[in-house]
Amino acid sequence: MGRRRSSSAASGLAALFILTIVSLALFTVYVREGDCEGDSGCGPLHTVQLGASEVLRPVRGLTSFAAQPFQGTRERVENAFSGDRQEMQNELVEAREIAAESSRLQRENAELRELVDGTRGGYEYAPLARIVAPVGEQFTQRVVINIGTEDGVRPQQPVVVGNNTVVGRTTSQVSRNTAEVMLVTDQNFSAGVNIVPPAEFDPGSGGVDSAATEEEVVYGEGLLRTNIEGTFGVEYVDLSARAEQGDFVITSGRSGDRELLFPPGLLVGTVESASSQDIDQYKKIVVSPSANPNNVEEVRVITGW
Amino acid sequence: MQQTSIIRAAIVVAIAAVMEVVLGPYLELGWLSPKFVILGVVFAVPALRDLQAVLLGFFAGVLFDSLSGGLFGVGSLGGLVAATLAVRANALRRKGAERFVMAQVVAASVAVYDLINLTATGLAGLQTPPFGEFLIGGVLPDALLNGLLAYLIGGWLLKISRPKTRSWDTPR
Repeated sequence: MGRRRSSSAASGLAALFILTIVSLALFTVYVREGDCEGDSGCGPLHTVQLGASEVLRPVRGLTSFAAQPFQGTRERVENAFSGDRQEMQNELVEAREIAAESSRLQRENAELRELVDGTRGGYEYAPLARIVAPVGEQFTQRVVINIGTEDGVRPQQPVVVGNNTVVGRTTSQVSRNTAEVMLVTDQNFSAGVNIVPPAEFDPGSGGVDSAATEEEVVYGEGLLRTNIEGTFGVEYVDLSARAEQGDFVITSGRSGDRELLFPPGLLVGTVESASSQDIDQYKKIVVSPSANPNNVEEVRVITGW
Repeated sequence: MQQTSIIRAAIVVAIAAVMEVVLGPYLELGWLSPKFVILGVVFAVPALRDLQAVLLGFFAGVLFDSLSGGLFGVGSLGGLVAATLAVRANALRRKGAERFVMAQVVAASVAVYDLINLTATGLAGLQTPPFGEFLIGGVLPDALLNGLLAYLIGGWLLKISRPKTRSWDTPR
C-alpha cells in the first residue's frame, strides 16, 4: 500500500512537471502564431477559440437576455464600493439632462440618416450589430457582437455608434457570426487623434473647417489611450499645441506617412481637462468618451473607407 | 468505481468552465470574480489519484482557455496548481475540517492564478496594471472572496463530487 501511494505521488509529480512544460509551450505557441490578421491566417489555437466562440454564441445570448434586469443592480454595487456616490449622483442628474437633449438629437439624426442611409460618404458598413455579451477577463474591456466574417467584418476594424462615434475596434477574434470588440476604455486600445474646437468640426462629414480659425493655430495631436494610472487621455501633445476643455478629440487617420487603423474624422470624446506643469514634456489631456461603452447596445463596424 | 469518479469529476469541471465563461463576466467587480474552474477542480480531484488529478486539472484549464478567448496556457497552469494543491491538502486533511482546508486551497490557487495571468499578460506584450496595486486591490481580495465562496458552498460541492460508496465496495 505504501509503495503504491509513493509511486502514485511520483507519477503525479512527473505529470505535473511535464504538463507545466506543455502549458508554457501552449502559451508560447499562442502568442507567436498567426492571429487571424491579413495573410498570416489563424493559428490552430486561435482557430479553436473561434470555434468555441461560435458554439457558445447561443448560450451567451440567452445569458445576456436573462441578465438584463440585473445590470443596474451590479452598477449600483460597484459604485457603492468605489466611494464616489455623491459624484455619481451629480453626474446622473447631468447625464439625464444630456440624455434628454441627446434624445432630441437622435430623432433628428435618425431623420437625416434616412436621407443618407445612416452612412458617411465613401464608407462601407457591416449590418447593425448587437452586443451579445461582455468578455470577462481581468485586464481587458471587451464585448462580443453578433456579426462576423459572413457580414464582412475583419480584425482591426473601427466600431462606431450613432453618428460615427468610436467605441472601439474589432480584435483578432472574429469568427463567422461573432466578433470580439476592444472598447476604447481597454488598456490596450490606442488611436492617433487630433484635438479640434467643436465649432470647426462637422460630425456628419468628419471634416475640420480650418477657415473658421481666426489665426494660425497648431491643433493638439497625440496618442489616445488609457495610461498605466487608468486615466483615459491623449499623450504626447506638445506644450505649445492648442487643447482646451470642451474640444473634440477625433481620429487623425495618419501618423507621418503611415495610415493608421482608424479613418480620419471619427469622434472619440471631448477634452475634460488640459493641464501642464513646467517640468512636463507634454500636456496632460484627460478625455471623456462621447459614447459610454458600457451603455451601448447596438454598434456598426466600418468595413471600408 | 474509479472510472465513475473520473467521469463525475470531468463533468463537474466541464460545467464549471462553461459557467465561468458564460456567467463570470456578469459577476465581475473590477479585478474580482468568482473562479468557478478553480472551485470545480479543487473539489473534484480529492476523490482521484495524483496522476488523474493533475491530468484533470490540466484539461479543465485547457477547456477554459479554449472557451474564454484569453491567453492559452494560463488556465492550464492555473488548473495544474489547483489540482496539485488540492491533492496535497487532501492527504493532510482532518475529518471535520475539510471545508476549511479546501477553502484555503481555493484561496491559494486563485492567488497563484491571478499572478500567472498578470505575468502572462505582461509577457504577451499587453498592458498590465502596476504590480503592487494589483496585488493589494486584485490578488488578495480575489483570493479571499473565492475562499469564502468555497467555504460557503464547499459542503455541497464535496457531496456531489464524491461517489457514493456501498458496503461491499469498502476495501479490506
